[in-house]
Amino acid sequence: MSKTPLVELLDLKKHFKVSSGLFGRNAKYLRAVDGVDLTINRGETLGLVGESGCGKSTLARTLIRLYEPTSGQMKFDGEDIAALDQKSLMPFRKRMQMIFQDPYASLNGRMTVHDLIAEPLEIANIGDTQSRTARVHELLEIVGLNKDHAMRFAHEFSGGQRQRIGIARAIALNPELVICDEPISALDVSIQAQVVNMLEDLQRDLGLTYLFITHDLSMVRHISDRIGVMYLGKIVELADNDELYENPKHPYTRALLSSIPIADPVEARKRKIEEMQGEIPSPIDMPSGCRFRTRCPLATELCATNEPKLKELTDGHLAACHYAEP
Amino acid sequence: MSNHPLLEVKDLTTSFFTSRGEVQAVRGVSFDVSPGEIVGIVGESGSGKSITCMSILRLLKSNGRVVAGQAHFEGQDLLKLAEHDMRKLRGDDIAMIFQDPMTSLNPTLTVGEQIIETIIAHRGSSRKAARQRAIELFELVKIPEAASRLNSYPHEFSGGMRQRVMIAIALCCDPKLLIADEPTTALDVTIQRQILLLLKEIQARLGMAIILITHDLGVIAEVADRILVMYGGMVMETGSVDTVFARPNHPYTQGLLTSVPKLRTAHKERLRPIPGSPPDMLRPPVGCPFAPRCLRAMQICVGEVPPIFEMGDQQTHKAKCWLHHPDAPTNDEGAA
Repeated sequence: MSKTPLVELLDLKKHFKVSSGLFGRNAKYLRAVDGVDLTINRGETLGLVGESGCGKSTLARTLIRLYEPTSGQMKFDGEDIAALDQKSLMPFRKRMQMIFQDPYASLNGRMTVHDLIAEPLEIANIGDTQSRTARVHELLEIVGLNKDHAMRFAHEFSGGQRQRIGIARAIALNPELVICDEPISALDVSIQAQVVNMLEDLQRDLGLTYLFITHDLSMVRHISDRIGVMYLGKIVELADNDELYENPKHPYTRALLSSIPIADPVEARKRKIEEMQGEIPSPIDMPSGCRFRTRCPLATELCATNEPKLKELTDGHLAACHYAEP
Repeated sequence: MSNHPLLEVKDLTTSFFTSRGEVQAVRGVSFDVSPGEIVGIVGESGSGKSITCMSILRLLKSNGRVVAGQAHFEGQDLLKLAEHDMRKLRGDDIAMIFQDPMTSLNPTLTVGEQIIETIIAHRGSSRKAARQRAIELFELVKIPEAASRLNSYPHEFSGGMRQRVMIAIALCCDPKLLIADEPTTALDVTIQRQILLLLKEIQARLGMAIILITHDLGVIAEVADRILVMYGGMVMETGSVDTVFARPNHPYTQGLLTSVPKLRTAHKERLRPIPGSPPDMLRPPVGCPFAPRCLRAMQICVGEVPPIFEMGDQQTHKAKCWLHHPDAPTNDEGAA
């Protein structure tokens, strides 16, 4: 696979002001995304994992400019879209779409399925009423529904079917990048696999690039080509999927991976358990130096004073830890 | 472990009577829980796993009713107990924890007041003794700086710590049975691990039985001794976790296991999902509830609910599936 970058993030930051203090002197900021460098190649699936509050969803929302970035660059197909005004941004909006977690909340209950899926086409001014309807029917087929479903409302569908409607909406404009923000977390296990298989088929047929955000560590290995691990607003490790699971370098990744419940009692008992102490610190008052040091079994003096940089250890395997070795 | 089960549920049948009709949430569920045993109930949303436990605890919403069945706890039928006695039993002998600790805790009281109040109500101890006991319990569930954290409000705790508080309150009266309904679903994976290890450790120390309800097969595999797989309000398969995970004998259990990626095998192996979606319990299928989605369904499956067959490999391993009828066509794949 040739690697052409579709998305390049350079030192991207998104800070939220949480209190301004007296006369704005003691303003406090929540550093949700705090200096992320990341490349997503065309046609690949990049998985992004981390615990709640690590900034993975904020990163996704900043990337499609639902949030305004605080600083840094966001290159999409070579052009920095971080600073574009709304008008110049329009052509790019079509090229990146999002699938949301909650199929119950993300679809307007007063619109028919037809209207929901035709909406992006209308906004982008594509075709006339007739051709849009034809496209809606085609999209319904693609996601495994049929045109008889078009005149119904979202509440008449199960969670899995609703997620299919959400996916049809997302691919309506032939986007290049689809950001999947926990697309299967709200679904039952037997339905999750249906949706994951469909996402894989769509990627193959339509040449999509995915940014796949999840906290489900076994599914992310299955679907991703490369995986980034986030902790408190930063990427702490990035590698090809098998490499990450078989050879994790960062102590946080190791703890995270050893926490996954394995659906095999014999394996589960054999496994060495690395219980991680404590909980994720507040992104408002971050620890000095390495962000992970308060929970890290390897932390030393150095970690409190110097923040480790994300560096390449072996080909394509990056980690941000003073003690990570190739 | 004694031979007498602590809890014996027989043919439990529960329905909700709604404006749209009768929702048959639980349809003839039977199982035992022995003292000191961890029983995991796994199933998808709507399978009846939570309603089974709510029926036993008699905590159903007002439109829900146990239509038939028994639930013997140490010999007495919980379903026939006077409300007053049931109230005493809940919390004393049977305790429970739920998925979202924030909605189970009172946000306007400190956690200390809530736990001390519980101890006084159930134990009749003095305030001072109750406080002492509360500190011990907080230490047991590993809340750091136990004594001072008693003065904190629920919102000052993280999700994981709140769940620890809930566990501490549940343990107030040394219950014989703890029912945990999706206790780690709302938590991050590293915190989930901490809470599961804590539950196992407490179980080993205090020797109570636990019913763990979850949708996550991994959680069951890690924690439970025995598993009940529920679907469409019925128990589809049951047995020790080792047996059921090694030799699943019901097509539904097999389907669940192939729907989740194996961590150790090549990742690009395609998942094998279960086709279709779960049944509408307003109009459940006449025969086996899983038949419409089952790749190996036969004529009889559609028309008649299968009985429970013993698997023979282990006494407690049973499956509710026609494929195990002596006259059913043999299929090597199913026996594997």
